[in-house]
Amino acid sequence: MNETAEVLRDFLLAFADDEHLMGQQHTEWIGVTPFLEEDLAFSSIGQDELGHAVLLYEIVCELDGVAPTDAAIDALAYSRGAEAYRSSAFTEYGTTDWAEALIRHWVYDMVEDYRWQLVSESTHPALASAAVRAQREEVYHRRHAAALMDSLIATPARPELERGLVVVLTLLPSLFAPVAGEDLLLAEGVISRSLATTAPDVITHIAEMFGEAELGQVPADGRTIRSPHFGPLMVRMREVLDLDTEAVW
Amino acid sequence: MSRSWNDMDEFEEFLDGGGIVEVDDDMPREYREAVFAFIEMHANSEYMGGLTERDWIPKTPGLRHKMSVLAKTQDEIGHGHLLYMVAADMGIKTRTEMLEDLMAGKSRFHNVFHYKAETWGDQVAIAFLVDAAALASQQAVFKNCSYGPYRRILKRIISEEGFHMRLGEDRMRRIAEGTIIQKEIFQGALDRWFWPALQLFGPDSKPDDKLLRWHIKSERNEVLRDKWVQKFVPMMHSYGFTVPAPDLAFDDETGKWDVGPIDWEPLKKTLAQGGPDSARRIGEARDNWERTAWVRNALNGVLQ
Repeated sequence: MNETAEVLRDFLLAFADDEHLMGQQHTEWIGVTPFLEEDLAFSSIGQDELGHAVLLYEIVCELDGVAPTDAAIDALAYSRGAEAYRSSAFTEYGTTDWAEALIRHWVYDMVEDYRWQLVSESTHPALASAAVRAQREEVYHRRHAAALMDSLIATPARPELERGLVVVLTLLPSLFAPVAGEDLLLAEGVISRSLATTAPDVITHIAEMFGEAELGQVPADGRTIRSPHFGPLMVRMREVLDLDTEAVW
Repeated sequence: MSRSWNDMDEFEEFLDGGGIVEVDDDMPREYREAVFAFIEMHANSEYMGGLTERDWIPKTPGLRHKMSVLAKTQDEIGHGHLLYMVAADMGIKTRTEMLEDLMAGKSRFHNVFHYKAETWGDQVAIAFLVDAAALASQQAVFKNCSYGPYRRILKRIISEEGFHMRLGEDRMRRIAEGTIIQKEIFQGALDRWFWPALQLFGPDSKPDDKLLRWHIKSERNEVLRDKWVQKFVPMMHSYGFTVPAPDLAFDDETGKWDVGPIDWEPLKKTLAQGGPDSARRIGEARDNWERTAWVRNALNGVLQ
């Protein structure tokens, strides 16, 4: 695998891992959101995010020269060492607080939309094709989040949303962190711009809703460091898999 | 246009002739209350089924697998959502009142959803045994249901429940072809869920069962239960699993399986006092309901 392919693999893993873990976080909310319609929306969005992760892991399989079987996809999703994941602290964070969950959904899908735009005309055909499908779904995710935010922001619920925003903003820089060597992907036209360059637009959108918002320093660790939330999350996700590593469920 | 009947005899004659009651009809109070209670219990059961499954969804072994399981539970919650709306239209309780009654332990749901899904095997056993039992009950209601709004919703519910049952069968087959550990886990789950699933049909129908007389149910409980036994006992055997019924016997004359005497005490105890896991599950749902009240209160303010 040449250097560009290795960077592309890291880039795909970062995107896929975030989609996977965001979908995973949404699965925790079924049956316990504020109202039944929201249960349905969150689980539907969760399925879409998990589906996007599958699309991206499939491209990693293609780079690795292996068929994108369930086993190959699951090996990428569940069986790497922590150091081989490229997820962000933003998606690794688990919460039982609905305000945090809602604000994270609103911000994540805003950023995700930009993320797909970066690759919508990618010189890597499978990635461009995945973007077309994902963007069709993202329209609905963003519309859902915006409708709730627009309805709630001018109500007595605002302090709850502001409380959630504080937590989400501390996590947000990690979502913009690039993988090492991202410039190679820019040079080859795999991505049209770095996700980090969209951060000012995202912060502007947040500030339009809340009056003000600031972004901390984007980490320059190439997404190689996991947050404290990653370990417990992986234990939870792997609980059944670890019962019997030979089993196909 | 609203229809009315002079007395119960005239109303029952209408039902016996295949008449379908609509929400704006001036239906007899007893019929309205009985049908409402039946739909409310169905709605509660769908919702509680979702809560039973939710414990294991984040731990589903496999990414594509997780998408299927999440979609299934979304369907269950969606069925609850539709049924609460059908029940609320009957004008006895609002949807919020029904949910709050459920969370206060004041209303009923099927016995099976009082039990805990102990392992991933239980999650599969629920889809395999319980979804099939629920589907059989719903099909029997749909067949001849006199309350139009319920019948129309059941059509959709039944089509989705069919997928759930097939998902359960598919996962059961994988386990049957799997490792010794998998088979042991699943056998343990079958041992826990066989009797509660069988008891989902309830004790034998009473001779004067109003729901049968008013064409809500179309089959007696014991008939549905027997059909389920005749399907699942051979299926469990054919995939190498044991049926946890010590008196299980095959009657050569009738060509049927007999599971022996049914101990109804666990069912009575569950319905009277709650089951092994209902307090925790309802408590968790109630805590979340209370902690997210700020969202509902704010949105109610927007709507007013």
